[in-house]
Amino acid sequence: MNFRELLKSNSFLYLDGGMGTMLHLSPGELPERLNLTEPERVAAVHRAYAEAGSQVVYANTFGANPLKLEGTGVDTAETVQAAVRLAKAAVPADVAVALDLGPTGQLLQPAGSLTFDAAYEAYKTVCIAGAAAGADLVVIETMSDLLETKAALLAAKENTDLPILVTMTFTETGRTFTGCPISAMAVTLEALGAAAIGINCSLGPNEILPLIQSLSKWTTLPLIAKANAGLPDPVTGEYSITPEDFASYMPAFAEAGVKVFGGCCGTTPDFIAAMREVLRGREPVTPNQHRPLAVCSGIRTVMLDMPRVIGERINPTGKKRMKQALLDLDFDYLRGEAISQTDADADILDVNVGTPGIDEAAVLPQAVQAIMEVTDLPLQLDSSDPAALEAALRIYPGKPIINSVNGKAASIAEILPLVKHYGACVVGLTLDENGIPNSAEERFAIGRRILDAALELGIPKEDLFLDCLTLTASTGGDGPVQTLRAVKMVHEELGLQTVLGVSNISFGLPNRPLINRSFLSIAMQNGLTLPILNPMAEGMMDTVRAFRMLAGFDPNCEAYIAACQNAENPQAAAPVQQASSSLTLEGAVIRGLRQDAAKLTEQALQTMEPLDIVNQLLIPALDTVGADYEKGTVFLPQLIQAATAAQSAFGVLKAHMADQGNAGGKGKIVIATVQGDVHDIGKNIVKLLLENYGFDVIDLGKDVPPQKIVDTAIAQRVSLVGLSALMTTTVGAMEETIKLLHAQYPECKTVVGGAVLTADYAEQIGADCYAKDAKATVDYARTIYGE
Amino acid sequence: MKPSDLNRDEILMLLRTPALDAELETMLDECTEELCKAVQPRTIWRMLPVGHSDEGVRVGGLLLGGKDIALHLTGCKQAVLLAATLSAPVDALIRRAEASDMMKALMFDAVAGAAIEAVCDELEQSLHESLGFRYYTARFSAGYGDFPLNQQKDLITMLDAPRKIGLTVTQHNTLLPMKSVTAIIGLSDQPVKDARRYCCGKSCGECPNRDGCVYAKNPEDEKGSTQ
Ligand code: B12
Repeated sequence: MNFRELLKSNSFLYLDGGMGTMLHLSPGELPERLNLTEPERVAAVHRAYAEAGSQVVYANTFGANPLKLEGTGVDTAETVQAAVRLAKAAVPADVAVALDLGPTGQLLQPAGSLTFDAAYEAYKTVCIAGAAAGADLVVIETMSDLLETKAALLAAKENTDLPILVTMTFTETGRTFTGCPISAMAVTLEALGAAAIGINCSLGPNEILPLIQSLSKWTTLPLIAKANAGLPDPVTGEYSITPEDFASYMPAFAEAGVKVFGGCCGTTPDFIAAMREVLRGREPVTPNQHRPLAVCSGIRTVMLDMPRVIGERINPTGKKRMKQALLDLDFDYLRGEAISQTDADADILDVNVGTPGIDEAAVLPQAVQAIMEVTDLPLQLDSSDPAALEAALRIYPGKPIINSVNGKAASIAEILPLVKHYGACVVGLTLDENGIPNSAEERFAIGRRILDAALELGIPKEDLFLDCLTLTASTGGDGPVQTLRAVKMVHEELGLQTVLGVSNISFGLPNRPLINRSFLSIAMQNGLTLPILNPMAEGMMDTVRAFRMLAGFDPNCEAYIAACQNAENPQAAAPVQQASSSLTLEGAVIRGLRQDAAKLTEQALQTMEPLDIVNQLLIPALDTVGADYEKGTVFLPQLIQAATAAQSAFGVLKAHMADQGNAGGKGKIVIATVQGDVHDIGKNIVKLLLENYGFDVIDLGKDVPPQKIVDTAIAQRVSLVGLSALMTTTVGAMEETIKLLHAQYPECKTVVGGAVLTADYAEQIGADCYAKDAKATVDYARTIYGE
Repeated sequence: MKPSDLNRDEILMLLRTPALDAELETMLDECTEELCKAVQPRTIWRMLPVGHSDEGVRVGGLLLGGKDIALHLTGCKQAVLLAATLSAPVDALIRRAEASDMMKALMFDAVAGAAIEAVCDELEQSLHESLGFRYYTARFSAGYGDFPLNQQKDLITMLDAPRKIGLTVTQHNTLLPMKSVTAIIGLSDQPVKDARRYCCGKSCGECPNRDGCVYAKNPEDEKGSTQ
């Protein structure tokens, strides 16, 4: 049974229909257990589908993964093997048996707490068992999260040689439940090497048809459709559509490019037979020959159909504060840069964490994860370390850009295979063992060499972008001219996307912004499509918008006009307050005026030491608000508003102190939401207030294992650990953390908080202090650090 | 979902404040607007048989733990099991705000609490109109009183909620997306005694967490709200 051949043949291919529907499960019955206890019941379903004309049956392994089966007593490998074997025995030899991978049932980070590696390992177990039992192909179905889908796909690709089909589940909005759009699914999965892709479950054929039509525009792969039999009735549990009604939609599906047909929830062998009947005599339409060029994250696709801006800010080169933040594994700074570039309308963000003293392979994936928590934008993974690139490529949920490969033989040999395996785009730098050639022709030749090497590996031509390298204009000579010529040649002769780091051009010259934006316009006119720049820098985004408008990428000037309007009335939540001469820094904090607080802090720095500003101005102001809060004359929102104003003052102080090379506040505190708990906001409020009072808060985030909390507390020699738990089921993890801390680091104190805790409960689990809110936490921390 | 669908008092309750000044009021309006745009309410429900026995109460064949839910369903032969979620984009919006502006994060969080409440209220209303029973209990959720949280997995499996509305539960019984609810409503043709309401901030019923809870209503206020 060669499934790949079958898929290539010029005829439709029929999968099976619902399994759960056919098994008639009673409440609480676990389908995967039946493979072991009642194999005949499962085999009968496969037989019925094969008899109705299914050419592929899905083994009963949809929910067979270690994460779902935990605690059921069913062993994953055992049930998977049994399922595949019984299916093979049940159907004739010309019917293929698919190993069926469904969702793990858990959400991956950042939406949930499952890690990529855990998901991958779960799928790997299933793939190895299924392939060993003789599955003919792997199907990944009913997926919602693109990263989870990628984990399953990589597990199948890296542990079996089987063809892989993938179908995801969409809502009427054209997105999955986790927000993945059809475009991102298609762009990512085709690049990762799926043999066919499509849509299953959740909706009936009527609702899926338009989604399939939109999918067909995004891929050259054969399409799969497996709709539900309408919707189930909540009172009777019955589905609404008959086999004939269902089948009547199929010619339209075929016209939209579907080649592989099947059914999902509520469908039965009659549906398969009816579909075959309706499609008899028809032939599949020729699939698309071209796919739109795009990169994506798990939730946003960026088409490369006009100049797109790659934000350059996440790069420690020349940024003391970012370097320090990276060394401390404090990703808040990166998150901040990601948010501000996103707000400034960058299209893609470059992520570079290379700085001495850092293990890039460990830090780059963590940085990528932190950034993806706060932005939808696709990322450009920027490193010269292949191990770091690979680590980040694995956990990145869409189609990223790798920055970079170059003309050196070693670079080509190390980087291009990663590009191919992980389905990424890549920036090729036009330099080689001999450095950066002077002439455009020589740079072009290197670019061409990289292209040939990429094509040889089967990397699609359009996935290579070339960077013809910006040299500093101030060194004299015709550097800028050669760069521009090379860009033009690449654009016109190779038709590739081109990348340039724009701001290098003006290094050492007066009025850099002028040079930068002038060079940017000229370069775009010469074919630059992916400028790397600082989107917050004066005039840069304006230049891009103006170019897009003038060059015909912005019909009716809509985007241009909208951006101008936004600039005129910035939607600052708080109306910009005039820092009236009478306003003091304390007053600004008490009234929660952020911009004023920042401005007044800058003024204060001219005459005062940072620590004095904290102790003499900020803390007394916060104390005033805190006292009113306790009296009940001020409430939580006003307290937080004051705290955010103080935070903006701290931002100014921190930048100042980093420049002076001294850090150091009042003392370090580790805080975390305990393992199993993913509620964050209460803890983050506590963190904000603690930072206001000058404490260095090491925030380990949510769902943090006890040992990690203890290890960090010891390594950082903190005197206080704060723990948060919102529900009774996670208070156990809190207790365990405290026990472990007592055993390994007894001198450390603990403060706990969260909805279901009380002072009694806190005492029972051995905590030193129960804090009912953030203010109480600060009060306790101040006693610990001897104020 | 529109801002006007939400109960402003409930939002203020979750913000733990009786009122806001003009500036914060404007900010709350903006946050409400933005959150409403991000909300994609999804609900799923099934009507299931209820069986009482010495062991406790069964709904759709599943034995539910604790006395409280059994008492809640006294006299009911049928119940609706429901789940509702505001969906993943809401969590993302709040997460982002937590990294950039805690004030907004706090507001989004509170508005989301009121929004999921509104989604449940609307579903409940439509059930009242369509199911044709004479009496309905209030919603009762896993995690309230002694109804164990670790039955969340059974409940959402029974509803096929991961597939139908994208609602999952973690190994530690947290629903994800975060702004989500599961609940049971008893259906009966006889009057029901569902004194055990746990409506945070409205009426505490016999909630074991009421002591020390920052949202707890004092008993005087409560007399008015639980007829
Ligand atoms: C609003 C709310 C909801 C909302 C939103 C939840 C959310 N936050 O995402 C919705 C309606 C979605 C909801 C759903 C549920 N909820 Co609810 N919910 C609440 C409520 C009323 C407020 C929680 C809240 O958000 N507070 C706002 C934040 C800012 O406050 P906080 O986290 O408590 O943080 C403050 C302090 O605790 C402290 N603190 C916090 N962390 C830390 C850390 C340290 C180190 C320190 C020192 C201090 C500290 O300082 C913070 C700032 O002041 C509580 C009741 C209560 N008394 O808290 C119930 C409550 C938490 N929910 C409860 C339950 C049962 C549920 C559900 C399981 C019901 C169900 N079956 O559907 C679901 C579960 C949802 C899920 N995702 O799993 C129960 C939990 C009981 C239990 N057995 O654990 C509670 C206690 C209600 C009750 N009376 O029984 N809920």
